[in-house]
Amino acid sequence: MSTEKARIIKLFHELLEDPQNRLVEQAAASGRIPIGYACSFVSEPLLMADKLFPVRLHATGVAGTELADNYLSSLICSYTRSLLEFAMDNRYDRIQGWVLVPSCAHMQRFIDNLDYLKKPAFNHVIDVPRKVNAVTLAWQTEELHILASKLSSQFDVDMSNASLLKAIGEWNYFCEVMRQIGDIRKKPNPSITGAEFQIVIMASLASPKDLILPHLEALYNEIEQKEDTGKYRARLMVVGGHLHDPEFIHSIESQGGLVVADRFCTGSIPGLTPVHVNGDPVRALAEHSFEKTLCPRMMEDFDIRLKTIIDIAREYHVDGIVLEIIKFCDLWGVDAMPLVSALRKQGIPVLKLEREYRLGGEGQLRTRVQAFIESMGK
Amino acid sequence: MKNIPASIHAMIARLPETGKRLWQSSLPEYLLHSPDLNAALTYMKYWMLNYNEIGKFGIECAVRLGPVGAIRMLIKNPWLHTLLKVNDLMRRYGRGRTGLYLESICMTLHTIVAGTNDTLKQMFFSPDKLVIIEDLLPPDIMHAMGLGAYQLEGMGIMLPIMDPNSAMKYIDEAENEGMNPDACSLPKTTVGMVLKGHMPKGLALVSSNLPCDAGAASYSFFQRAYDIPIYRVDVPYHFYNERAENLFIEDVKEMIAWLEKHTPGRMDWDCFRKICENRNHLLELEIELWDMLRARPAPLASEAIWLSHLWHYNVSPDYEASVQHFENLVELARRNLENNVPATENERYRTIVWNPPFLHFSDIFNWAERTYGLTLMNDSMSYHHHGPIDISTPESMLRGWSRIVMQGPMVRHTRGPAENYLDDIFRAHKQFDLDMIWVANHVGCKGGQAMNGILREKCRERGIPLLILDYDLSDPRIVSHDNMKRQVEHFMDNVMKAKRIEH
Repeated sequence: MSTEKARIIKLFHELLEDPQNRLVEQAAASGRIPIGYACSFVSEPLLMADKLFPVRLHATGVAGTELADNYLSSLICSYTRSLLEFAMDNRYDRIQGWVLVPSCAHMQRFIDNLDYLKKPAFNHVIDVPRKVNAVTLAWQTEELHILASKLSSQFDVDMSNASLLKAIGEWNYFCEVMRQIGDIRKKPNPSITGAEFQIVIMASLASPKDLILPHLEALYNEIEQKEDTGKYRARLMVVGGHLHDPEFIHSIESQGGLVVADRFCTGSIPGLTPVHVNGDPVRALAEHSFEKTLCPRMMEDFDIRLKTIIDIAREYHVDGIVLEIIKFCDLWGVDAMPLVSALRKQGIPVLKLEREYRLGGEGQLRTRVQAFIESMGK
Repeated sequence: MKNIPASIHAMIARLPETGKRLWQSSLPEYLLHSPDLNAALTYMKYWMLNYNEIGKFGIECAVRLGPVGAIRMLIKNPWLHTLLKVNDLMRRYGRGRTGLYLESICMTLHTIVAGTNDTLKQMFFSPDKLVIIEDLLPPDIMHAMGLGAYQLEGMGIMLPIMDPNSAMKYIDEAENEGMNPDACSLPKTTVGMVLKGHMPKGLALVSSNLPCDAGAASYSFFQRAYDIPIYRVDVPYHFYNERAENLFIEDVKEMIAWLEKHTPGRMDWDCFRKICENRNHLLELEIELWDMLRARPAPLASEAIWLSHLWHYNVSPDYEASVQHFENLVELARRNLENNVPATENERYRTIVWNPPFLHFSDIFNWAERTYGLTLMNDSMSYHHHGPIDISTPESMLRGWSRIVMQGPMVRHTRGPAENYLDDIFRAHKQFDLDMIWVANHVGCKGGQAMNGILREKCRERGIPLLILDYDLSDPRIVSHDNMKRQVEHFMDNVMKAKRIEH
């Protein structure tokens, strides 16, 4: 790794160590308003209007969830328990508003327990439908209008069309830069690993976009023309739910499987789809919120999810897929059954891994990945 | 061939045990230990009526499908044998109970046997009109369209009630296929039954986002397994408002149009009106019954209440037989009330069960009655407070019906903010003058699990004793019946300081 690239990655890594990193603190100190969110169905551009900025909530480094378990139970997704643990520990004290989606039962109960325990001054739930058609698109548009109105009155921010269009422009540029970095991974010898990319994207989602962009541009300039002759035996895609800890991907890559594509909640596919505005920007954001997410909660989209995974696998020349599922996640847990079967029928090797939100059982993970790569004949 | 001698040998070895079991579930044994002559006669009456219903179905199968077809049906759907154990269930429910209370419970079971017959006929005799639906979608609209409907999770609910061990093989099948073991055992059972080919294939599937992630997500599998068209209705998160109602009504209208496109069904609004009227009548009767239950001691309780609602509201709300059943229940309750005859001889405590009932140990309340004088007044699958349906126009009927679906059991507790879950519990606590609250803490119910912390604190604030009873909905291997009883005993002995009833 070049010195400059190493320096930039280290910077991103440091930003990821704290859920409220120094860029968040810097922006908050200048009078901007951090809004926390935890689901990909939330419209980031909407939360970038005027002095608002979105902060993707994560709990990287959580040591345990003993406090949260008293409320959420230890039989619940460890992501939501980790978020609640951090919230109870005041690790999100700079967050001035929460915009959440009851995307699953776990997230819904996180919302309930957050409300009960912390009583945030602004805690808004977007009621995102579970299917996409003209009627639900109109509903989602109205939901975003309601959210915009509430944000405006709570924080005295400009949520006019002009303001939203500006925010959309900033978001689209951010996506453009991230996509350019992500496209490098299509090359036979990409100059960025999956773990590094994960650090970059996760830190970026948890930071104000205007403050992180210079670092992203610097990174792109540094790695654009380079090739890395790292020793990897196979090209892998990771598919699944929330994955915030880059050490998980690092563990996979340590066994010779380079992660070149990330089709999970905080991944770039299709999370970095730009917003296409044709008239009402709020409607465009509503459309975008459906386009940029491929979640099993969307009841009618199994075939789209399957096709997207297959298409990405071909586009990125992927040898195999690692399907990672947080334990107790019913959406991915149940969806995986037909998904794995369908992918294998397409001749795509699949390794299904159950994991916790924070990295654990690293030895087992490495062994299974190693065996998987060997089983592919790589 | 090699296994046949071994199997015969095993069967012979098990003969004493099998014989003992058969004797223990036989009619003569019950009559020998019956509390009184009335109870014996009541039990005998419904024992015969149940077998009569089963016999009628058997004959109809033989006539409609032919002997070979009937046998093939039995082989292809081995779970039908489990349904034959209904009298065994009646015995478990009836143990120690007498008078009109026993009559109400036997009668409830009998109406379910008759209703099951009807459901089975729709499943096996009219596949050309059969729509498979998700269990929290009532079949009213399908019936109004002249279609048959079968709730795919239906047998997953019924089988473990009949035989505690019956769901296990299906659960294992689903887990072996890759379904996450921590998922709710009801979708696992359903998936397992479909995997084994034990469920009928209909013309179309109608599912929803109810009641939970596992249930909703399993329909991607069912769709691919059956390869038939599917429509999904989507209940909004915040549904107690007109905007959400409008969205859902549009969804239901789309569903009707879709069914007309994909099935021979055609919506008959007059028929739907009759169904809604039937529902309204059911509602009146149930409210009247619940009013009587507020008396202490209650005139009826337990399975007469929750099992009646479970079947007649969810499976056959459009049947006159359902209205008749509730009229009979009201009559029995009234007679008991007028004559000061309690359901439970020693009613000392009253409770409600929150979250799905204990399917594989549904007679736990029979044991609790006899051991502690604890009476089950209601449960979260039954308790509701929606109003009647305005039957004046199709639009008003759809609105009223949609409210019933959106505010249905589990639906209103798994959607929306925590208040939807908590307020109902405390409302029921007041309404039925309860002494405690039981939470059926199903290990696969994540939404319920994650509410226990808040509920515990809220109950503590109000001074309401709370039992969180760990179990698995359909799998007795996770928490055994003995363990469940121990949890109750610990609670009743240590928290309620309850004395056991001497027999």
